Amino acid sequence: MSRNLGVQQVDGHGVLLDRPDEGAVDVLLDGRRVWSFWAQRDTEPGAGRGERLASWPAPLRRYLDGRAHVVVRDPGDGSVHFEGEVVFSEADRRVSVVNPEGAELGIDKSGRLVPTFETRGREDIDALVRAVGFVLAAVRRAGVEPFVAYGTLLGAVRQQTVLGHDSDADIGYVSRHEAPVDVVRESFRIQREVVRVGYEVVRYSGAAFKVMVPEGDGHKRGLDVFGGFLDDGRLYLMGEVGADFQHDWVFPLGTAVLEGVEVPVPARPERLLEATYGPGWRVPDPVFQFETPVRTTRALNDWFRGLRPGFKNWQRRYALRKRELPQRRPSRSARRGKRAALSTDAALVLDLGAGRGADALWLARQGLRTVAYDFVTFPLDTLLEEVRGEDLPLTVRPLNLTELRSVLGEGARLAREPGRKVVVAEHLLDAVGPRGCENFARFCSMALRDGGSVHAHFFVGATPGVEWSVGALDADEVAAQWRAAGARDVTVVATLEHAPRHGGQDDDEDDDLDEDLDDDAGDVVDEEQGPDQRDGQGGAPRTGQVLRSVVLVGEW
Amino acid sequence: MNPMRPWEALGATRRAEQERLDKLEQRVLDLEAEISEMRRHHLRLAELTDVVQELLVPMATRDEERIREAIDQFSASI
Repeated sequence: MSRNLGVQQVDGHGVLLDRPDEGAVDVLLDGRRVWSFWAQRDTEPGAGRGERLASWPAPLRRYLDGRAHVVVRDPGDGSVHFEGEVVFSEADRRVSVVNPEGAELGIDKSGRLVPTFETRGREDIDALVRAVGFVLAAVRRAGVEPFVAYGTLLGAVRQQTVLGHDSDADIGYVSRHEAPVDVVRESFRIQREVVRVGYEVVRYSGAAFKVMVPEGDGHKRGLDVFGGFLDDGRLYLMGEVGADFQHDWVFPLGTAVLEGVEVPVPARPERLLEATYGPGWRVPDPVFQFETPVRTTRALNDWFRGLRPGFKNWQRRYALRKRELPQRRPSRSARRGKRAALSTDAALVLDLGAGRGADALWLARQGLRTVAYDFVTFPLDTLLEEVRGEDLPLTVRPLNLTELRSVLGEGARLAREPGRKVVVAEHLLDAVGPRGCENFARFCSMALRDGGSVHAHFFVGATPGVEWSVGALDADEVAAQWRAAGARDVTVVATLEHAPRHGGQDDDEDDDLDEDLDDDAGDVVDEEQGPDQRDGQGGAPRTGQVLRSVVLVGEW
Repeated sequence: MNPMRPWEALGATRRAEQERLDKLEQRVLDLEAEISEMRRHHLRLAELTDVVQELLVPMATRDEERIREAIDQFSASI
């Protein structure tokens, strides 16, 4: 018997339901699914008793201009519970949920408005299946047995196609190792093999990475590869799975058909699907949300995660402004760094945590050979392209201070480069946490083997309202860390006070981080005077908690 | 010696019970923290082993070309 959804009305606010049975609901505009939700979980109480209102998701709302033929249906059995023409605005047009490139969009399981498979053409799906084949082959070459996993496995087993509401493809493998340390080492090795055959790889954790597969149109498609292992009758698969499991439910691998192509799957795919999606995996649910047990999340976090905390936030923050060149003035640490580099004839200036590259660009324009480092490098790569004509002595390299391999690898490279070097770190240490600070000192000790200096500006103490700040730093502790790493002299050369921040302020929307960090916004309360030192701005009366920062200089 | 009244005895039992529960709760929290500490060594150990294998071993050869190649390849694969 069909579920009761009790659709009362569909309008510009959303879909109004009366005492609906719980479960997934699809919404189609002019015959195309654009959104799905759960009747109770994803709705709010309506005005009337028992009513539930599913409000249009924000990313979709701005497309609701004009009119559309709306269908509300149960994805389980396809039964239609509402059908009618809905007028969203006076505009004489059909609602069109299409991006500037002409691709039709739908809300995916994470609430993002993206080109999902059901809105993509045959060609696009074929390209994805080909990419799956490439990555499977590359991973197999590294000596493990990969299979399609998560939504891709579900699609292959349940309907032999990709899931319409999905937007990517996932690959998994179960290691022959039983200890997480060996699983991580193996994952590093697999990454090297995949890089060796020519793919770009982005690592997420000790057991998961994304392989970027170039497409015909120049775009790169990222496919996730999740590592897993079996230990004493329990399977852990990176991402979401931790379940009692048997070896012969995985090996030997079997096959299933995905979009007409044979793909490897675990020996008993239904067992993995049940461990992943629960016993109801056979019933379509476009808005499935993982309810991963705390035990599993905790174990996966401890064993594998924490290699790049905050990475997604920084990516998101920079993505909003990626086409603009940074405009702000050089920071205090950059200006000090420049003076040090010129006075000591330094061979190289290293701008760590370069962000969008304002300081690095300024330093390079002063004629100093500069390397801009960050763990999110796309804004810096864009910057390099923009200023290519200037022929600046500027290079960009990735560096992740929370990943020891990154620090030691880059440190080893710099240790072999002769000459004094100057390190500039503007609001870096207050954004990387204790491990990042420790690795910063380690990096400096390697990079400055031939001598040089470090110029770091960072907040000390509590930083209310500074969304990106991690922990509260103490200048003495940082100085002690640098001394332990070989600095012969460490001095606080300036102490500054800054106006309080608004709590919960969303920097992404209205605040350019570079502006945010312009240290001239701070009042100097104590500073060693240099030859071209500027005074702080006037001290207006302030309320709330004043932020304090210091400029710390270390000589190696 | 004053014998304990029944309600006083009950109160003392409840307090002892609560104390025992508090201690057990703390013990569970401690155990969770200790397990977490141990688990986190896996990633650190894997990173260090990888560095030794991919960077230090080639460096021990003192072959300049091999060292440069090892550093380049290592950086490109992180």
